[in-house]
Amino acid sequence: MNEKVSLTPANLTLRHPELGTGPIPTDSYWQPEFYQRELDAIFRRSWLCVGRVEQAAKPGDFFQKELLTFNMSVLVARGKDRQLRAFYNVCQHRGNNVELRKSGHCVGFTCPFHGWTYGLDGKLVGVPDQRAFFDLDKSKLGLKQLALDVWEGFVFVNLEPEPHQTLAEFLGQQGRDLVGYPFERGTAVFEYEGTINCNWKCMVDSFCETYHVPVLHRHSVKDTLAGPDNPHGRLIDIRLKGPHRTQSVWGNMAYQPNPVQGLAFRHAPGPSVTSGAVDEGTVLPKGLNETRAPNWSIDVTVFFPNWIIVMGSGMYFTHQMWPLAANKVVWQMRGYLRPATNAAQRFGQENSMVELRDAVLEDCNTLERIQASLDQGLLKEFIYHDHELALRHQYHVVQQWVRDYEQGKAGKALKPRAKKN
Amino acid sequence: MATRRKQAASQLPKGFSALERWLDDWVLPDSTARLDKRMRSSLEELRAFYDGMLPHAEAALAYLAQRQLGELDPAEERLLKLMLSLAEVGPAIEWYGTGNYPDAFDPKRFPLIVQLPDTAPQGAHA
Repeated sequence: MNEKVSLTPANLTLRHPELGTGPIPTDSYWQPEFYQRELDAIFRRSWLCVGRVEQAAKPGDFFQKELLTFNMSVLVARGKDRQLRAFYNVCQHRGNNVELRKSGHCVGFTCPFHGWTYGLDGKLVGVPDQRAFFDLDKSKLGLKQLALDVWEGFVFVNLEPEPHQTLAEFLGQQGRDLVGYPFERGTAVFEYEGTINCNWKCMVDSFCETYHVPVLHRHSVKDTLAGPDNPHGRLIDIRLKGPHRTQSVWGNMAYQPNPVQGLAFRHAPGPSVTSGAVDEGTVLPKGLNETRAPNWSIDVTVFFPNWIIVMGSGMYFTHQMWPLAANKVVWQMRGYLRPATNAAQRFGQENSMVELRDAVLEDCNTLERIQASLDQGLLKEFIYHDHELALRHQYHVVQQWVRDYEQGKAGKALKPRAKKN
Repeated sequence: MATRRKQAASQLPKGFSALERWLDDWVLPDSTARLDKRMRSSLEELRAFYDGMLPHAEAALAYLAQRQLGELDPAEERLLKLMLSLAEVGPAIEWYGTGNYPDAFDPKRFPLIVQLPDTAPQGAHA
């Protein structure tokens, strides 16, 4: 190593002796049986992000979110009392979805099958020809509600009837450390969605190490996130916080943009994603670029299990992974840009979006080839670089959650549930 | 011939008549259509568009920076849409030089499901 700047030395992993340094078995990245255990131990017991409060800002606003892993539609609605509630989108009569629109505004929900109607609070208010039913107790037939809570404007739900942790407990220090990031300013939204033939954890891993950047992304972001001072794309830092983790990514401050890209940087409605520049009036939270490194570009925070926020100073985007099988995942990438006011800013937005898409698509063939190798039993262990610590951490967290849940079921006490809400 | 030229000249704001030749191919309805056009174009077509637009891009953006979304007239909308196509073609030339990534994952497998509007106002900062 002959890096000129003081990069983090090869000691990130050694800060966490409990994670070891040895190879990681690959079984849990392809076995269908382990995947089923993950669904019960992790996905049915974690807080899952379903959207933002702005999507249902006013009383009567609602939006739907498909929890694709469970083939389940969740309806988030703001009641007349301004409360946000989440319901399974299931009519209590025969099970049809009561709302088919992705989002909208209404006074209540009417099932398009037989016309049963529900209030924004989920209560069953109307049953056509009710007298022909037998002992119908409408008070017991409201839409089934899910636990819902909000963090920094993001709406989360939990499939446990009695969540074993509150959202604040679940997000823990990682959640607290990002409070104050200007999430609410990214109101210009775009979203991509696709199905990738790989394990959901491999998809998460794809965004959690930059060792691959100078090689796989040699045509695109190599010179932005690596450079002469950091040829191997080393990270600034990784911070593990409970089941979650954040990495601070190095940025090449001497990077000279290409012509169109340079015009887009100048006309973007906020600082370009990897510039590290902070726009006026923005105070970044302590948990972002926590070491306050000058050559910082972005932070990548993984909220366990399936939600990643990539935060620059002027825009952010999220990745969400919805596993469909041990070797198949739906990947949703949602960008949150500062709104454009003038038409030149709209050009800046478009180039940010296009370059982000091009760069992330470079990862996908590799992901599917990795999965093929795993499915064929041709790779028994992953060997992790020091700066692939986030991948090692994810493996251990997944194993821990599965073990804790299964031992709890077998009779050992789970951690006692803390105070209610 | 003369009439056709006159018609075309009013298709873009004053000073940008050199970009008329791209109107037929590169004024497209939305981001998805622009990606599709990029994928269907040969490297020569992409390079010709990029090289033809770039010398005028600075001036086009200076003009567009004075115009608010939601208040564009049709000629200004067309100028913006040409620039949005340049935003899409930029990395094809500047990053890849081949029109597409060398190890290309089919972008049709990762479509936009929520698009930014091209010309409509986006609202103020929250």
